[in-house]
Amino acid sequence: MQLLREAYLLLWKDLVLELRRRESLLTMFFFGTLLLFVFHFAFDLPPDRVADMAPGLLWLAFLFTGTLGLAQLFQAERDNQCLEALLLSPLDRGALFLAKMSLNLILMLLVEIVVIPLFWILFNLDSWNLLPQILAITLLGTLGFCVLGTILAAVTLRARARELLLPLVLFPLMIPVILATIQCLGAVLRAGELGEALPWLRLLIGFDVIFLTVGVLIFDWVIEV
Amino acid sequence: MGPWGFVFLAYGIVWGAILVYLFSLKRRYSCALEELAQLRAAEESNEDAK
Amino acid sequence: MVKSVEKTKRGTGILGALAFTAVAVGLYWGLVQAPPDALQGDVQRIMYLHLPSILTAYLSFFLVFIGSCLYLWKREKRDDNLAHSAAELGVLFTALTIVEGSIWGRPTWGVWWTWDARLTLTAILLLIYTGYLMLRSLIDDENRAAVSAAVLGIIGFLDIPLIHMSVYWWRTLHQPPSILRPDKLPWENVDPAMLAALGVNLLAFMLLYFYLLSLRLRLGEVRNEIKSLRLSRGAY
Repeated sequence: MQLLREAYLLLWKDLVLELRRRESLLTMFFFGTLLLFVFHFAFDLPPDRVADMAPGLLWLAFLFTGTLGLAQLFQAERDNQCLEALLLSPLDRGALFLAKMSLNLILMLLVEIVVIPLFWILFNLDSWNLLPQILAITLLGTLGFCVLGTILAAVTLRARARELLLPLVLFPLMIPVILATIQCLGAVLRAGELGEALPWLRLLIGFDVIFLTVGVLIFDWVIEV
Repeated sequence: MGPWGFVFLAYGIVWGAILVYLFSLKRRYSCALEELAQLRAAEESNEDAK
Repeated sequence: MVKSVEKTKRGTGILGALAFTAVAVGLYWGLVQAPPDALQGDVQRIMYLHLPSILTAYLSFFLVFIGSCLYLWKREKRDDNLAHSAAELGVLFTALTIVEGSIWGRPTWGVWWTWDARLTLTAILLLIYTGYLMLRSLIDDENRAAVSAAVLGIIGFLDIPLIHMSVYWWRTLHQPPSILRPDKLPWENVDPAMLAALGVNLLAFMLLYFYLLSLRLRLGEVRNEIKSLRLSRGAY
């Protein structure tokens, strides 16, 4: 599939750039960890309440960390006028969307793979056996965030106060993902399995699929010179 | 505040806000019309000057 | 050209007169004619504002969606004008809905705010479309602003059913069996006199909405003309 090949090429370029300089990755990682510390001071969490609040706290951390990543998503293209070059090339803009979305997804997942176990350590949680499920759900939620976030990052690209505007337009639209992910995570932490939270998982997957499709189709118009 | 108090508060705010918006629309419109007239007049005087 | 402008002005004037007459009738019907509610008393009359407001807001956001789609498809300024105007009106009516809901809630539930599904959803709607207006004002290039706003308008509208579902599920799962009841519409056992008052007020709001919309659209057209004049003169 031409689209996927092009997306892969673009993604490869961005990943190589990122892994060489590690700007975004390091800032996102440190910010995520820092937030965990702040939460510990801000919320007085008795040990029995931590498991209840874990999904919400984790997701707050990831939302802000992810927004950092989104803000820098098109930075390389902006700086060197590469954006014009990209748009002039015969690449499908849907491929650009997939590539950028995947880049932010990978960065966020790398951060999450470290921050989640760190959370378990810092807040003295026992349920290490649940981590695979936790990570899987987090993956789906992060996907939703990256999909919508990439579209809106491109939409707000030329706006003044873009770093403030992006969360402003993104967060309300993210509410289904936030609710669904937290409900699923909460169910897993309480009962060890999804159980009643299954409809939430379906909602989350539905959201991901819908906006992934919308993103690929609409990106032609979103990103213009 | 009795029940009618709340009713009048709600109705008052709503109709007040709508009236304010209506006046704001009319004012913006007349400003815009003025600006348009000025631009057109300037254009015509330019044409005359040529 | 002058004649059609004249006709439009007269049409708008007639619409305005109709709207305000309907509003006056609605006010009478809602405040005087309709009976007070058996349970809530006269406070329930706020419903004659609340329900039409939220329906008007939904209509407005649907128009934003239509305008946005049409604009991305055909790139006609007229469609962008529709989207922008409808968004502005939508924000107004959504804000009013929240205020009405809050005022209604105070004597009914004892609190100015509650995170029940309906109020929460309305607040989210307000946030989304306020964001839309902010986006428009923060992008300097006219055409880019229009395109970006159109994309946001479409995405926002597509997201609304998902937001609706998630907030409703969230509230039904967490609803404690307490005194706070969700804002239930009294559809069951509704006095026909109340339904009539509701209908009249709904009609009044619709007429008023379209009157305001026509005024706002007209403003947008003049502004577009100013911009194109400026552009052709090479200034700004």
